[in-house]
Amino acid sequence: MRRGLIARSKTELPDAVFDARLERLRAAMRELDALLVYTNNTRPAAVSWLTGFIPYWSEAMLVVPRNALPVLVVALTFRVKPWIERTSRVAEVINAPRVGIEAARLIAGRKADAAVGVVDFDHLPLGIADDLGEAGPQLAISDASDLFATVRAPADPAEIMLTARASSIAATALSRIGQRDSAGDVVAAVEADARRNGAEEVYVAMAPDLARDQRLLRVEGEPALGRRFSVRASVAYKGSWVRRVVTVDRDGAVSDDAEAVFADAVARLPSDCALSQFSSFLVEGRRIAQPLEALIGSGVAAPRPPVAGAVVSVQARIEADGRPVLLGAPALVGASGEAASIFQ
Amino acid sequence: MMADNIPLSTARRHRLLAAMAAAGIDEIVVYGNGWQGDYLRYVSDFGILEGHGIAVIAADGAIELFLDSATDAERAEAEVPGVAVRLCGDIARTVGARLDRVANHRLAAAPRRSLPAWLAAAARSFTMEDGTALLDRLLMHKLPAEIDAIRRAAKIADDAYGEFIKAVTPGRRQYEIVADLEAYLRRRGCPDNFMIIGSGGKDVFGMTPPSERRIAGGDLVTTELTPAVEGYYVQICRTLVAGKATAAQAGAFAVYREALEAGIAAVKPGASAADVARAENDVFRKFGLGDYVTSKYTRVRGHGIGLFCDSKPHILEDVDTALEPGMALIVHPNTYHPEVGYLVLGDAVVVTETGVEVLCGTPRELFEVPA
Repeated sequence: MRRGLIARSKTELPDAVFDARLERLRAAMRELDALLVYTNNTRPAAVSWLTGFIPYWSEAMLVVPRNALPVLVVALTFRVKPWIERTSRVAEVINAPRVGIEAARLIAGRKADAAVGVVDFDHLPLGIADDLGEAGPQLAISDASDLFATVRAPADPAEIMLTARASSIAATALSRIGQRDSAGDVVAAVEADARRNGAEEVYVAMAPDLARDQRLLRVEGEPALGRRFSVRASVAYKGSWVRRVVTVDRDGAVSDDAEAVFADAVARLPSDCALSQFSSFLVEGRRIAQPLEALIGSGVAAPRPPVAGAVVSVQARIEADGRPVLLGAPALVGASGEAASIFQ
Repeated sequence: MMADNIPLSTARRHRLLAAMAAAGIDEIVVYGNGWQGDYLRYVSDFGILEGHGIAVIAADGAIELFLDSATDAERAEAEVPGVAVRLCGDIARTVGARLDRVANHRLAAAPRRSLPAWLAAAARSFTMEDGTALLDRLLMHKLPAEIDAIRRAAKIADDAYGEFIKAVTPGRRQYEIVADLEAYLRRRGCPDNFMIIGSGGKDVFGMTPPSERRIAGGDLVTTELTPAVEGYYVQICRTLVAGKATAAQAGAFAVYREALEAGIAAVKPGASAADVARAENDVFRKFGLGDYVTSKYTRVRGHGIGLFCDSKPHILEDVDTALEPGMALIVHPNTYHPEVGYLVLGDAVVVTETGVEVLCGTPRELFEVPA
């Protein structure tokens, strides 16, 4: 559940950005009369990319007719309609408890047997899928995930700018960690700083003692910190999610060599030849509905290499001086022949 | 946390397995995500944050947890070591392949309406009946150790509201206040909280995530804090005034306090959720404010709490769920008041054998902070 700042900035996200994204999508909808994009507060990425709408709670369905303005059908109470209109760019907001029923009605009312693409159809909640069938029994529904992912993948200048801002918020927040802080103080310092700088959300995870376990956990209670620990900040800023990971040594500095090796490996993306030399790595990107979706990595069974021009977040576990170092940062994958660059 | 000298997660699993056996169900498929993760947490003890999660529990107690977020999968491996964690590229098809192996078994799913649609398509080799009601009973009727966790969360909620009062200063932006609260909770070792906020006057009709709006003198500042301990959420709702409360604000607040007291007095074994809602709403009707207890101005008059912060039963006049010992609720007559704007006031309670235990200790006052 989101509880950070959700606000629209027309400077950072002018209407023209959303209009251009919508046009790209419509141009790809040649065979479709309408596209449906479902959102809830755990799978908000596709709708927030198209409209800026971030559901802090509940669920919604964006209806994108090929030849008419989009409509957002939301299950939230109509009392928050002004908030939605303030924070999003949508032509019309309709409040309805069963968003699938209302979305299907809207489309079927114009054309009963319309060809309708649904983004991530296979993972649509069953209740929503049933409602689409109930209210639009003649609609010809198909999965439109690949169509959407193709349009979505390359980052536009606005997305790159928001990513840079999210990365900066995360980096600044992680710089607040004190070498002598307790685990609770570490998490509190990172969260407070990120939220005060306008983060829409922040998740902090820690590996409290790298000598014992290098996995990043959610902190509950007060785990003892080892000599060396790692902290990951997953930060969202206006729909743009990044992850940054730092390793802290309570007795001194962590070797700069590890950061240099990491940066060099990231620069080679979309090739994972250098990253795969590490103990483990993970590259996540923005494809469909998840804010960060696993693309390639040590544990990823079905890899989907990032495309040129995409924004990704990279994490790696590196051995430096015989000890583990966890690092992570967002990056922009370069065009063919160009190095990927890490957001600072 | 322990229940009868066994970990709470084990005690929950024993209850679930007993319920499955009684219903003749061989395996249960449970879905969760970061919005509503209570069914998944009950079964797997994993608090999901990102992506989809599906747990499959067999009659012998073996649990497999399927996740499509790589970071959550890594976390699950460390946080729930007794569970077999599977990272999936396509969670629907991976779980489908798992269920193909037991297609001749009696399977149930909960909450079935939330499952990825692909898993329920007619082409599948397996079918899943709806096991939601079975899990709902377990989620609503809590073990003493579950109530203990909610009690501990309530203590944190009381302390956190004290911090909220300190954080509200005219000129501060809503999101800066929330940042302070979240930091306080993390410092207390509390990993999760749901929180919305409102500030202003008659122009405010509800609460939302924090905005850039600055607190101004005379504002009513509303919030509901919902911290969690070991996955168990509690809630407290309070309102404060930036400055000295006006006679109208104080008079309006008195109605909400009377309604809350009436609602809590109605909580007892044998009463229904509707009885509680009616007790609250009758107070508003008595003061000529009957229009403001309708869905035009308010969503619910309270709800269950536990592994989800907005659980069943919803406290509404048309919900006839019977209250029984071991159920935890928030009673909150939150709604819009035509003279002063949106007001909230609510306390978490537990239904006991003899009546009700109020968990929140924060005074039921319209607090004032210097303007």
